[in-house]
Amino acid sequence: MSRVRAMRPFDWALPSRPVHREVLSVLPGAESSRPPLLFVHGMGHGAWCYAEHWLPAAAGRGYPAHAVSLRGHGGSGGHTRLRRTLLRDYVHDVLQIAISLPRPPVLIGHSMGAVVVRLVLERYPAPAGVLVAPAPLHSGLRTLAMIARERPSHALRAVAGASLPMTADALFEGLDPGSARRLESRFGPESPLVQYDVALLPRRAGRVRAPMLVVATPDDRYVSLADVHRTASDLGVQPVLFPGMGHDLMLDAGQDRVLDAILDWVDVTLDPGR
Amino acid sequence: MPDTPFVDRSDTWCVIGAGAHGLPAVKAFLEQGLPVQGYEREDDVGGNWNAQGRSSRVYGSTHLISSKPFTAYPDFPMPDDYPDYPHHSLVLAYFRRYADHFGLREHVAFGTEVEACEPVDAHDHWDVTVRDRSGARTRTRFAGVVVANGHNWNPKRPEYLGLDTFAGEVIHSADYKGPEILRGRRVLVVGAGNTGCDLAVEAAQNAESTVHSTRRGYYYNPKYVNGRPSDQVADTLLLLRLPLPVRRALFGLTQKLVVGDYASLGLRRPDHRFFETHPIVNSLLVYYVGQGDILPKPDVERFDATGAVFTDGTRSDVDLVVFCTGYLVRFDFLDAHAHLNWRDTHPHLYLHVFTPRHDTLFVSGLIQPDSGQWCLAHWQGQLIAAYARARRDRPDLAGRFRDRVAAHADERFTGGTTYAESTRHYFEVAHQDYLRELERAINLLEVGAPVGSR
Repeated sequence: MSRVRAMRPFDWALPSRPVHREVLSVLPGAESSRPPLLFVHGMGHGAWCYAEHWLPAAAGRGYPAHAVSLRGHGGSGGHTRLRRTLLRDYVHDVLQIAISLPRPPVLIGHSMGAVVVRLVLERYPAPAGVLVAPAPLHSGLRTLAMIARERPSHALRAVAGASLPMTADALFEGLDPGSARRLESRFGPESPLVQYDVALLPRRAGRVRAPMLVVATPDDRYVSLADVHRTASDLGVQPVLFPGMGHDLMLDAGQDRVLDAILDWVDVTLDPGR
Repeated sequence: MPDTPFVDRSDTWCVIGAGAHGLPAVKAFLEQGLPVQGYEREDDVGGNWNAQGRSSRVYGSTHLISSKPFTAYPDFPMPDDYPDYPHHSLVLAYFRRYADHFGLREHVAFGTEVEACEPVDAHDHWDVTVRDRSGARTRTRFAGVVVANGHNWNPKRPEYLGLDTFAGEVIHSADYKGPEILRGRRVLVVGAGNTGCDLAVEAAQNAESTVHSTRRGYYYNPKYVNGRPSDQVADTLLLLRLPLPVRRALFGLTQKLVVGDYASLGLRRPDHRFFETHPIVNSLLVYYVGQGDILPKPDVERFDATGAVFTDGTRSDVDLVVFCTGYLVRFDFLDAHAHLNWRDTHPHLYLHVFTPRHDTLFVSGLIQPDSGQWCLAHWQGQLIAAYARARRDRPDLAGRFRDRVAAHADERFTGGTTYAESTRHYFEVAHQDYLRELERAINLLEVGAPVGSR
């Protein structure tokens, strides 16, 4: 069983630098008793990827919906220091936004953002956590090997310290070419230190108390399905799969079904009497 | 009090105090799914940091002397827009936001003072008598009690020959609220704790003259070293796992570079090694000594009508004496000698929390770390609630933990050092050493992890 980790010597000795953080929010029309949702994006993405569909849709279902751009991404600061940014800086960014909300939010992380959410949940008592097409916490070698088989040049670039390319043909399965091109132009670079961390460093997962949901797609070309199953089984849950979709479950055609499945689960988990 | 109304809530845990330690304890019980009732004498959270409260000992200029990262609760970091060393008003705002964010206020009865706390024979339950704002008393039976009423509020007033003949004013730092009282007066500040050094500096800035009497020479650590908060520099050395002698040598070197030779500044050289006394963090004291605004003196030998005579035979005329001589631990509502394993002058508790005398009585906050405190407050609360939960769900683990409480009640967590002034350092802990043991104990209760020997 996973241990509780109290010792965080790096955070005490070399704390993350303060930075400006972009938060995109859509609030429900009427006062809501539902907990806020905080969405965390993956590599090269920004809060904008949730503003396309999920933030307004979640607000429409009565949830105050927020998405943060991690440092060096989207409208947040820290772009010039991106190459020196660590995974724990992202953990710091999410924690800072979580505590600024009136009550603890449900944390929803996509891809690398799922790793960040997982690490935040080890130290912060959120009411629930959702991992969407989660990058592996245990070790990303299998996922890296999958990318290397399919797109050797992409994997080589990442190993050489450049950003893993985010390309529409690998991210989306059902999007029209116009939308795919428009979205592709919005992806930015990623910190190589974070890429190495996610791809190479095996991490021992700490204890998470929050109820967890894992959603993913078997047709993911960025995260291997075997790693998704491992992530889910480490948490003691079964992943909910959406075949026929690409890695970006919040942008690809069919994204509305994914969000509905997530929010149905949140509804039932946080208020079983409904 | 036979006519006091009695309520049986023996499934509920009681937390006394809604300050820095009471709040995370309440939160920890809620996270374990255990019912909890907090009591707070004042109308707001914050304890010592609620400047309006009767037992608050903050003064106008009080700032944190440890920086944010270790000082804050690990699951509720201080906001990025807070400075490294926030003012006490920001600290209170922080506690209020913590209580609101986690919905703790509804579990605390404010304006309610605990008057008595007694074990119920043959059970592990406790009867707690409280008095609310209207003066009405209630006695409630609880599953157990967490005592988190603070230990920095009951002034320790020293006795000196001739103090009763001194014609000037004498106060304890407990009653010091701001520099108005210092203006135009000749002030003697006694004591070189962090408060004593703060007030010596305030006197240097406001009083007509300032004398600072200290028992010995101390190390005065600057708040910043090379642009970084000095506790973060210290934690960097711990991160590198440098052994104590090496850290000592590096601190000595840093002191030489940043502060210099104490003797050339007119101060006594420290007569002990680094880490052997509770750290003083004050960049300004040395500066004002150098400017001649603070006159350093040794211990006071006696007072006369108009001044003080020091152990080196010198004498100073003063009008105001401020004793910054610290605080004594006191539990008005509890027979601490009977219940808290009190021997000699202080309780002997495992991790300063668990008494071998009772299974359901805990003290949170009876520590003085060499760094920030509320990270430790969080984990103390987590450990207490984990134990309460294990008593119900995992009696085997709770039993192993109880054995540990009995065997280790006298253990200290000093990071390998030996403190110079033992009576002042009963509750001193080396923060990482202490937290490591909290972590071990929590994992024993949560996942049955073997603790091993230290």
